[in-house]
Amino acid sequence: REALGEDVELKVAQVEEEQRRSHKQIEESRQRLAKLLFDGTQMVTNIQVAADLREMQRRAEEAELKLQRVEKLENEAKSSTYKFEEITSKWALAKEMTIPQELWQLLNQQQQQCALLLEEKNKLISELQQELKNKDEQYVWAIKKQSDDIHLLLERMEEQIRLMLKNYRHELLQIEKAFELERRELLDNNRRKWEEAIQAHNAQELEYLHARMRKVEEFEKQLNQLRVQDEEEYNSMKIQLENDVQNLERQLQQMKAVYQLNQEKLEYNLQVLRKQDEENTIIRSQQKRKLNRLHSLLNNLRTKLANQEKQFREENHSLAADCERITGQCKEVQRRMRHFAISDAEKFTEVWLMNEEEAKGLMRKALDADRVIHTQQLGLPWEKPRYWFLNNTGPLGHYKVKRMATKLAAEVLTVGSGEGGKENTAKVEGRVTPLRNISKKTAKRILELISDESGFLIESKLLRSLQALGRHERTLMKLDSIFAALEIDSEDDLYQLVDFFLKYKAQEMAVSQRRWLLGRRRWWKAHCPACWPSLQSQGSPGAEDVTDLAEDREDGGSGAQRNKLKSPRSLLGSLPSVYFHADDVLKILKAFVRGFDKLREKDRSAKEVLQVRDSSKDEEYWKALAHVIPKPTLKLWDALAVALEEY
Amino acid sequence: SYYIYRVIEDPEWSLATVPHLTELCLQHIIHNFEKNPILDHLLPEHQRKVLDRLSTDLPLAVTANLISDEDYWKRCCTERWQACDISNYGDSWKQMFFERHLENILRCFIPNTTDPNQVLELIPLCKDYVRKLEVDQFLPPVQMDQKEERDDLSNTGSDFGFGEVSIHHYDLGVLITALPHLEELHLTYGVKDCGMNFEWNLFNFTHQDCCNLAVAVKMCHNLKVFKLTRSKVDDDKTRLLVRNLLDHPCLVELNLSHNLIRDKGAQAVGKLINHSRLQTLDLCNNQIRHLGAQALARALAENSTLTSLNLRLNCVEDKGGEAIGRALLTNTTLKSIHLGSNNLSEPTAMLFSQVLAQNTSLTSINFSCNHLGLDGGKQLLEGLADNKALTEFNLRLAEVGQETEYLIHQIVWANREAARLGSLQHPSAKPI
Repeated sequence: REALGEDVELKVAQVEEEQRRSHKQIEESRQRLAKLLFDGTQMVTNIQVAADLREMQRRAEEAELKLQRVEKLENEAKSSTYKFEEITSKWALAKEMTIPQELWQLLNQQQQQCALLLEEKNKLISELQQELKNKDEQYVWAIKKQSDDIHLLLERMEEQIRLMLKNYRHELLQIEKAFELERRELLDNNRRKWEEAIQAHNAQELEYLHARMRKVEEFEKQLNQLRVQDEEEYNSMKIQLENDVQNLERQLQQMKAVYQLNQEKLEYNLQVLRKQDEENTIIRSQQKRKLNRLHSLLNNLRTKLANQEKQFREENHSLAADCERITGQCKEVQRRMRHFAISDAEKFTEVWLMNEEEAKGLMRKALDADRVIHTQQLGLPWEKPRYWFLNNTGPLGHYKVKRMATKLAAEVLTVGSGEGGKENTAKVEGRVTPLRNISKKTAKRILELISDESGFLIESKLLRSLQALGRHERTLMKLDSIFAALEIDSEDDLYQLVDFFLKYKAQEMAVSQRRWLLGRRRWWKAHCPACWPSLQSQGSPGAEDVTDLAEDREDGGSGAQRNKLKSPRSLLGSLPSVYFHADDVLKILKAFVRGFDKLREKDRSAKEVLQVRDSSKDEEYWKALAHVIPKPTLKLWDALAVALEEY
Repeated sequence: SYYIYRVIEDPEWSLATVPHLTELCLQHIIHNFEKNPILDHLLPEHQRKVLDRLSTDLPLAVTANLISDEDYWKRCCTERWQACDISNYGDSWKQMFFERHLENILRCFIPNTTDPNQVLELIPLCKDYVRKLEVDQFLPPVQMDQKEERDDLSNTGSDFGFGEVSIHHYDLGVLITALPHLEELHLTYGVKDCGMNFEWNLFNFTHQDCCNLAVAVKMCHNLKVFKLTRSKVDDDKTRLLVRNLLDHPCLVELNLSHNLIRDKGAQAVGKLINHSRLQTLDLCNNQIRHLGAQALARALAENSTLTSLNLRLNCVEDKGGEAIGRALLTNTTLKSIHLGSNNLSEPTAMLFSQVLAQNTSLTSINFSCNHLGLDGGKQLLEGLADNKALTEFNLRLAEVGQETEYLIHQIVWANREAARLGSLQHPSAKPI
């Protein structure tokens, strides 16, 4: 156990100090001790093993002896029984004996044999007893031997213990020495390092000390210098300051005087202020009273304000009602005014016509007189003067009135039918130019389509009666009734209609055309790139009359493409009539009527206002009428009158 | 005024020599401890004083359950016995005192003469402290009638037939079953130091004794170690004991060495091996032959608890040795086996060379005092060549030759070093 404890300690030490040199020593010691321990144990247990071996041998011998003994005993028993039987058999013989000598002899023999037998037995017994004695001796010997063994064992154990103790001490000493050595080395190392460091430190300290001394001397010098300087400065400063002190004392005296003066002034002011304060307190009390009064007034006014507000609200309500009523009246008045304006206009035309009739009658009379004078009196050829106003009837503003839609339609239609009349065409051209880019043909085509397709808008009675008329007239009549139904009465409306048609068509066409063109282009690009420019040139002629059509939003990737997209618009003007399909007309009409209604609603009122007459030229007109006879003629007449009088 | 008076009268008198009242009280408590034991109510320092001065002769009935102080019991022990090693007694002086006290009483107990109450009275006092009983002597009852001197040469077996009027020993049953903490029981039915009064019937472990003991042991559920040595336990008694020990919950070590167990008894023990938790089995110095060894080997082949088996000084011979070797080919728990002095020879050595090559759990083998022969030794050396587990191989007086023994010793020594290093490295990570 001791060894074990030591071993554990050593192990622990070894684990801890594995890196050190002592580890080696420990390991060596451990191995040596383990060996020693093993050897010692071996030596001690050898005794036990030897005893075991002896015991085993003894047992083997014992077993053998036992076997021999048993055999011997058996043999003996066998022989003795044999002999005994012999003896017993002889007893029977003895019974038959009759002769005493023989019997005696036999008995003697028997006795001898029995004695022999007994002797043998006794011999055996003595042998066995001898053996037992031997055994006893052996036993004693064995006991002695065992006690010797035990003694030996004890001796060895003690020796072993002593040896082990000695060895352990020795090894421990060795290990401790190793540790000591290591420790000393470590200490030496550390001390050397320490001393080196100390020396270095001392040298440094010395250096620092020297440096410090030097500095101290320098500083002392500087200090002395500074002290001298400062003394001088101090003296000068002292003189200056004394002067200052004198000045200041003088100033102090002055200030004291000023102070006394001020004090008196302030005392006076204080008294004044006190009085004022008293007054102020009085005024404040007054003001307070006033404030209270005003507060009560304010409350009264507030209540009044609330009352009045209520009143005003009521008034406001009543006034709003009045306002509504008045606006209604105003509308009524406006309506009446319109009505009166219309009637005034009618009256005006009537008056105008009447006056014109009269004026024209007078004019005609004057002209007749002039003609008579010229032809009859002077014999001069008379020429009827040609004035613009001669042909005029009704008020001057009349020609500003829009042509009626039907009339325009008729004109348009006549353009298409009566191609021969160049004059007519030119005239119509002039008038129709407001239709802008819409060619007459197109317009005509549209109108014809409308008349053909919108038969349902015409009354059946009228339709029947129309059968008799010619194609041109029939169309015209139809259009007339259709326009009436659609409430298209002015020229503008018609333009709008036609325009709408065109735009609608243009949109649709642009869509379809683009689709078609895209397909075409793809096909073209794939098959014949050569055809490409030719197509481009084909599209170019119509390019100049591009105006304001809605599809200008197309992004231009390349010029060719843009040209391509322009072409449908340009084509629009030249050959669009072909593209109007009869089925579309109704759709377009529907859309138009929807949009048109709104449009008309919007500028109806505006139109009415706009119909104010322009009377600037009236005076001119009437003056012109008055001066229908020019001044030379009058002079002529004067001269003629003078001559006639002379005559 | 009294003090002043005293001071005036006796100049050498001082108050310091007067003991304190507490001191006096403690003194009184110590003197009258037997009649009026007061200890628990005292302050710790006073308790200490009382315990230090208490007499060791106080009756146990007073002290046993009251005093738990180790120092007091140490005084008791050292006054009573010269050699005291408390490491054998769980490092407790009190346990040592009671165990040895009880052992002494049992050693000197003479049935029919000694009052059994002597033991029974002690039971309630010591039952909490006794964990081990080691009784190496049981006295037989005194026989008043004239003893016949027996000088006949017949062996001991025939001796039992005579004079067994009433020679039963003390029945441990009552005592053992009353000790709840008993863990170890070492018994030897015999008389020590009989000297010239030797008689065979002093060493007579009767059947009745065995029955009593077996029943008592069966009732003792905490028993871990049971040793019954040098008591002439023969086959019948072994079987009786084994029958009662079967499926014992705690028994770990069984020692039946130096008895008269033959093959039948060994067979019974073999059965016990697999019906208990036995780890250590000692059957040395019995009369087990190859049949018994084969029975043990059969049990060993299936067993997984036994770690140590001692069959020293038996007579298993090669048949038994081979059987055990074959069992060790499959067994993986047995660590130590002792087959010394068993008349083994070369065939067993051959089989064990195979075992050494295969088995990795065996660490100790003892073949001392056998006739293995030179060839057997070489076989073992061959088998050992690749073994790394064996750390102890005893081949003394086994006739294997010095060279072989030396080589084997080298291998085993290397294995031991490796094992030591292995065990050093594994736990070394933790303590640091």
